[in-house]
Amino acid sequence: MESLLQIIVSGVLVGMSYAVLAAGLALIFGVMKIVNFAHASFAVLAMYIPAFWFLQWWGVNPFISSVIALPLFFVLGYLTQRVLIERVMGKPESEMSTLIITMGLSFLIDNLILTAWTGAPRIINEPYTTGTWLVGSILINHAQTYSFFISIVIIGGLFLFLNKTMIGKGIKAAADNPGSCAYMGINLRFVYGIAFALGIATTAAGGCLMATYRSFNPFYEESIVVILFACVVLGGMTSIMGSLIGGLIIGMIQQVSALLFTISIQNVAIFAIFALFLYIRPQGILGKKERMV
Amino acid sequence: MKTNSRRQGPTLWGNYLPIAIFCVVVALISYFIGDVRYTQRVLLLILIWAAASSCFNIISGYGGQTVFGFMMFIGAGAYTSVLLFKFLGISPWLGIVIGAIIACAIALFIGLPTLRLRGAFFAMTTMAFPLIAYALLCNVGLEEVTIPYAGPNPGSLHFADTRHYVLLALVLLSVILVIIRWIETSRFGFSLKALKQNETAAEGIGIDTYKTKLMAFMLSAFLGGIIGTIYAFSILLVITVHSAFGLFIIVRILAFACIGGLSTLWGPVVGAAILVPIGEYLNSKFGGSYPGLQDIIYGVALIVAIIYMPEGIWGKVLKALRRPAEKLAGSVKPIRAEASDVPNIDKQERAEPFKFEQIEPKTREKRNGSILKIEGVSKSFGGVMALKNLDIAVPRGKVLGIIGPNGSGKTTLFNVIHGYLRPEKGRIFFEGEGTTHLKPHTLCRLGIGRTFQVPQIFHNMTVVENIMVGAFANDGNVAKARAVSEKVAMRMGLGSRIHDYAVGLNAWETKMVEFGRAVATQPKLLLVDEPMAGLNPEETHRIGELIKAIANSGVTVIVIEHVVQSLVKIADVMVGLDQGQKVAEGTPGEVTSNPHMIEAYLGPKWRERYAKT
Repeated sequence: MESLLQIIVSGVLVGMSYAVLAAGLALIFGVMKIVNFAHASFAVLAMYIPAFWFLQWWGVNPFISSVIALPLFFVLGYLTQRVLIERVMGKPESEMSTLIITMGLSFLIDNLILTAWTGAPRIINEPYTTGTWLVGSILINHAQTYSFFISIVIIGGLFLFLNKTMIGKGIKAAADNPGSCAYMGINLRFVYGIAFALGIATTAAGGCLMATYRSFNPFYEESIVVILFACVVLGGMTSIMGSLIGGLIIGMIQQVSALLFTISIQNVAIFAIFALFLYIRPQGILGKKERMV
Repeated sequence: MKTNSRRQGPTLWGNYLPIAIFCVVVALISYFIGDVRYTQRVLLLILIWAAASSCFNIISGYGGQTVFGFMMFIGAGAYTSVLLFKFLGISPWLGIVIGAIIACAIALFIGLPTLRLRGAFFAMTTMAFPLIAYALLCNVGLEEVTIPYAGPNPGSLHFADTRHYVLLALVLLSVILVIIRWIETSRFGFSLKALKQNETAAEGIGIDTYKTKLMAFMLSAFLGGIIGTIYAFSILLVITVHSAFGLFIIVRILAFACIGGLSTLWGPVVGAAILVPIGEYLNSKFGGSYPGLQDIIYGVALIVAIIYMPEGIWGKVLKALRRPAEKLAGSVKPIRAEASDVPNIDKQERAEPFKFEQIEPKTREKRNGSILKIEGVSKSFGGVMALKNLDIAVPRGKVLGIIGPNGSGKTTLFNVIHGYLRPEKGRIFFEGEGTTHLKPHTLCRLGIGRTFQVPQIFHNMTVVENIMVGAFANDGNVAKARAVSEKVAMRMGLGSRIHDYAVGLNAWETKMVEFGRAVATQPKLLLVDEPMAGLNPEETHRIGELIKAIANSGVTVIVIEHVVQSLVKIADVMVGLDQGQKVAEGTPGEVTSNPHMIEAYLGPKWRERYAKT
């Protein structure tokens, strides 16, 4: 019973960290209809700068860094969209070319990190990294708990931004029907830029939070990119709420499989379920089946 | 019509001679360089990466199904042969075959579920499998395996002279290039190209898209497995999960293919020949101090290739070579609008006057009764009933017109007949056989042809190639299909456009290509969805003539059309639909004077106007 409770608690904590990373991916897919393969690489970049190096250089708390990361990566995301992705959008086969271009970008970021800061695994070693509370017989990690609450604030903020501001409404309209938006005087390039920038900023904040309790290296992206994609697919691809649910499910699967198998193959269960799921229900849990022809 | 020999499909020599020359030249270069280990190693790397990238090109370039998990097959081949050699002492020569078979079997296992997915979903899902392999191999302690080395021994794929490896890789690459060349010029290649551009249309003209993709996938994987073994034994001393299943493999493969040119024969070879030496140079110069530098090049190359030249270097070369010929063949003269009863006066003219000759239908038997029977068919989308308990019998050899307001279920009816949608209730009989649950490609082969509301043609194929894809539904012979298709193109009045790419055609020509393609499948029953939409009165008249001509040659035609005054001229019988139900049936006169149809669709003014004309 207690182990079950422990699984649920740690599943929710881990799942929330995936959810905040995946939320941006879902936003970008929902609005621009492209899969951003470099998404996880931006998160890993944020683990190094600001989270790890700001702490090393100036002693900035990584939780504060997660807030600093928002404007930094917003700008980076906006530039990425305007300089790279915009050039291939709207052309024939743009779905594949954006996927390939972001894969190239992802590989570029990983190897730039490797070249700049070597491949040594890094870890943030602060009291909260390993500190735990004991509630009943359940262990709760400090860093994960702080991250959990900050993640909720970030996702909530994103939600409010999309629903309450004019730009947010423009983004939602563009997701629904880009053609009519252009006729209505909405600057699609700007809206796409903002959507991409928001997605990257969210994931960067998520990356900073994850860095507080996990060790990472320049190629950490390879092990989370498919997990993030799985979260988004489980959630029906386009909705942020969906990816939140997807993230929590993935977190739960990971914790359960950690109980059943050894740690080294716990991701196998996720990938297997993900592949199976795509076969049975490609439109996701919340997604609707599209009418054909 | 002058025939351009270069376009008639090159000869055997033209097809395979360049590959033979390439093979001999590279072998000679390697031989004369001598046993300089470093240079030969770079050459070997070029050949192996070119081979891997070419295999990827089969499924992902020609077939358009980007496999991000392609390293799965290279890794499977490599690990299989190394493990067999190390633990069971099985010669790598046999290991090559076993590894390739295992890679192929894995492709079947992966492909069966995932090939139903499209685009990015497919690409990302395939990536999960190498990650699974990665984790499982680490878990059983095979994270790295040293390949046992007991001195040079050809039997265990250990050559003293690197040139032997080069030769081996060269032979493998040449075989792969020959296979790709064969695919390019065969029915299989046409099917791949077609489904890459438009899966819906490809399925509708008799291509089993799922099976074709699976075959291409397994072929790619088989060849990838062979490369895996050679890669492991010639390049690696210690095989690690990273070197066999790592993400860097697919990034490099993609970079070579994109820089050189996807879906071209020589593209991946050109890409590898350019990028590998740069990467190796950087690695030898700066690899010690900046370990990631070599791979940065591949990332940048990928981005640059996609943004600045999506067709790749070789694609650009091909385009430059093709341009002058194209100008010669492509006349800008529009098809002249002449009615079908005007005799063909000027044979000298490039642009043939429009005249539809009779086509040879599959069967000429004049059986009576209905060719297609629809019994109690219902289909709903969510809560909306698109078809409600519909019964229709289509008389053989007649033109059946279907009218009804938008949303009355006309196109849904076509999709149900043609297997794109499954009805929830009811049965469909074609030629007396139950066809309710058959797929579009099977129905096409049985003799149901189709043109779509929005023409679905293959934009990056020429007019004749478009029609050839249809002709392949009957005969896999390329030369025969080409001959038939040229004839059909002439009959459709596309003689002057025959070698032009479909992307540049106007609305009328696009419709004619689609009709020609459907006719080339030699259907017994042709489903025509709103053929007159967006046409001017003259063209509307011509398309009516065309449909009559098709019907006169023994093909039963069902036409959905909103231009009712034109439809009544060509239809023998008509059916009126409203809200998914049949509300009128009979001769055109009966249906158009049916009170329900006038109320729901035609409007009261129709009667007055129709009575006048």
